[in-house]
Amino acid sequence: MANTKEMKEVLFGPVFANNPIALQVLGICSALAVTSSLKNALIMSIALTLVTAFSSLFISMMRHHIPSSVRIIVQMTIIASLVIVVDQVLQAVVYSTAKELSTFIGLIITNCIVMGRAEAYAMKSPPVMSFLDGIGNGLGYSVVLLTVGFVRELFGSGTLFGVEILPLVSDGGWYRPMGLLIMPFSSFFLVGIFIWILRTYKKDQVEAKA
Amino acid sequence: MSSNNESIGKTLGVVVGLCLVCAIVVSVASVQLRPLQQANKIKDVQRNILAAAGFKDVQDVEATFKANIEPRVIDMKTGEYVDVDHSSFDFESTKYDADRSFAIPKEDDLAGIQRMTNNSPVYLAKDESGQVSTVILPIQGYGLWGVMFGFLALDDDGQTIKAIQFYKHNETAGLGGEIQNPKWTATWNGKQLPVDIVKGTAGNNEHKIDGLSGATLTSNGVDNTIDFWTSNKGFGPFLAKVRKGALN
Repeated sequence: MANTKEMKEVLFGPVFANNPIALQVLGICSALAVTSSLKNALIMSIALTLVTAFSSLFISMMRHHIPSSVRIIVQMTIIASLVIVVDQVLQAVVYSTAKELSTFIGLIITNCIVMGRAEAYAMKSPPVMSFLDGIGNGLGYSVVLLTVGFVRELFGSGTLFGVEILPLVSDGGWYRPMGLLIMPFSSFFLVGIFIWILRTYKKDQVEAKA
Repeated sequence: MSSNNESIGKTLGVVVGLCLVCAIVVSVASVQLRPLQQANKIKDVQRNILAAAGFKDVQDVEATFKANIEPRVIDMKTGEYVDVDHSSFDFESTKYDADRSFAIPKEDDLAGIQRMTNNSPVYLAKDESGQVSTVILPIQGYGLWGVMFGFLALDDDGQTIKAIQFYKHNETAGLGGEIQNPKWTATWNGKQLPVDIVKGTAGNNEHKIDGLSGATLTSNGVDNTIDFWTSNKGFGPFLAKVRKGALN
């Protein structure tokens, strides 16, 4: 029943056409918090993509057995377990980044994208499609996170992945960093601009005037 | 789908079964990865001690640490060495062990850490000739958002600062988080105790250090932390001995 075209749409649809952050405006909180450096944004993107994909997969696999009275709790339990596992793995493998991300990894549990996909898609769809849907939405999240992280790190600290690109005035260079971009709320502007550009090209995303 | 999904028996069965499976997965991950995590943690602390001692970008952390750093444990009140295994010392857990720690009176608690351990490790770093040239003290104190953990490296005169190194903190990245910036910590090199963190007027004054712009509260926290740990409530008794030449 799942043909290639449908798979493609589920996988790549959320990247631009149906982006979880830009169109559905979900998962904004972590997009603000972890994007001050590109490395953190990347690790966070990978973590969230994996959690969304596997939680959708497992929830979809047992969707016929989940009693609807406790379905949210069941979803949360699966998501929370996956997040703990991801956190443990990060602490074992990339200790210094895990240290910086600390609470934000734990907060993936409450990320609306994961819950949203579980409730809206995985509960009704077969496992493979749910898994792809999770990956797709993870990619959509990653695109926004990496874009914001790129701008914030480049213009806020003059570096990319910690490598100096624009030499700072304080180090004898010429670039005066934009302090605003280091603060979490600057992501609001960047996400806003991202949505603006996206909707200029994809007019169908513009909400009808009331 | 199946209508008996909503029965109490099925609901309980699904929930209990799921919890069991999840508990097993989480436990296995946690237990299996713990040795790696512990090793990472110890390595991270050792790397920071080495950085405080002036060893930058060390490849083999453990070997360099073993060859150049001598960990000792001191009694905080007297400043004397005591014979305790340093490797088992964990400040966070020891701090809340009533037998091995005590509460700091509120008026003395400049660093905002509430409790203090009876003993503390100190790390003696040797130079090429095998002489102890640097003494590294573990310090911690409240910044803006939480406790900052670090090391203060002093010359063997117990007076001249060689380095300051923070390895764990919750300060704002880019503002208070700049306490880890090597360019800032480099300005500490050669300053004399007691030091004050001031706003942009330190110049060449050997008792003053320029604060971090945009991070006044964090700077104050660092200032208080240094004041506390170098005072008699902190490493004062030990430093008094160092100043008399106890290291060599």
